[in-house]
Amino acid sequence: MNYIKVNLIIIVRSILFFTLLITSCSTVSVYSPEAYKQAVDLKIESLDLMSYATASYEDYQEEVEFLKTELKKAYEFARGRPNNEISTQQWEILIDEDRNLLGGFFKRWQDENILSQMFVDEMQMIVSDAFDTIIGLESGKIDPSELK
Amino acid sequence: MPTFNDFLSTLKDNLMIFAKENLEEHKDDLLKDGNAFVRKAKKDLERWTEGLAAGALSKADFEFLLKGKKDLAEMEALKQLGLSRIRINKITDGILGVVIGSAFKTFL
Repeated sequence: MNYIKVNLIIIVRSILFFTLLITSCSTVSVYSPEAYKQAVDLKIESLDLMSYATASYEDYQEEVEFLKTELKKAYEFARGRPNNEISTQQWEILIDEDRNLLGGFFKRWQDENILSQMFVDEMQMIVSDAFDTIIGLESGKIDPSELK
Repeated sequence: MPTFNDFLSTLKDNLMIFAKENLEEHKDDLLKDGNAFVRKAKKDLERWTEGLAAGALSKADFEFLLKGKKDLAEMEALKQLGLSRIRINKITDGILGVVIGSAFKTFL
């Protein structure tokens, strides 16, 4: 009888250990359809606006400022979600004006006023891939319905 | 009456099967993604060098693109880190299932 009791205690301890392990590894938020849609929409809008960068920045200043605000909203939305540090870091890199992705591109457009066609085309490809890393991570997250 | 050693033996066998099925698949996915990124970066660099030589890109453009690619690599690494953590969650979840399943199989 004591033997079975000892075995059961060991099994319960094992289960508790693995449960704790799972809890400690739960550092990635669950899938959010809103975050996914936000990233897809902003990808399309950003690539579209970038294609006008071979024209004067002054003509598109308003559109750029509007898009920057939308990007900041997406960043803040990511930052406000629990266990979402990795996605937040991705948004930070993408919109940072001191880096060389979307934020840096708009800064450079503003500074240079007109950018070359090849540079714009190549940056569109890089920025497209950058958005895909955000979208790819979001779509890889566990759907809350799977946890039930 | 099954012994605790029977349970450990069943658990060990089931964990081996579980690890073989899951870890190999994830290793292959990770290598595939990493290799695709390197191949694409190589092609980009070739095109940019040609653009620089032809005057379609300035030195500043070229440098900006290179730094952009570096930032992209960082974002890609973050994606892989996030996906790895999700996989670890799924694997630990699976291990828990194996432990419970092995216990039930042995003792009940």
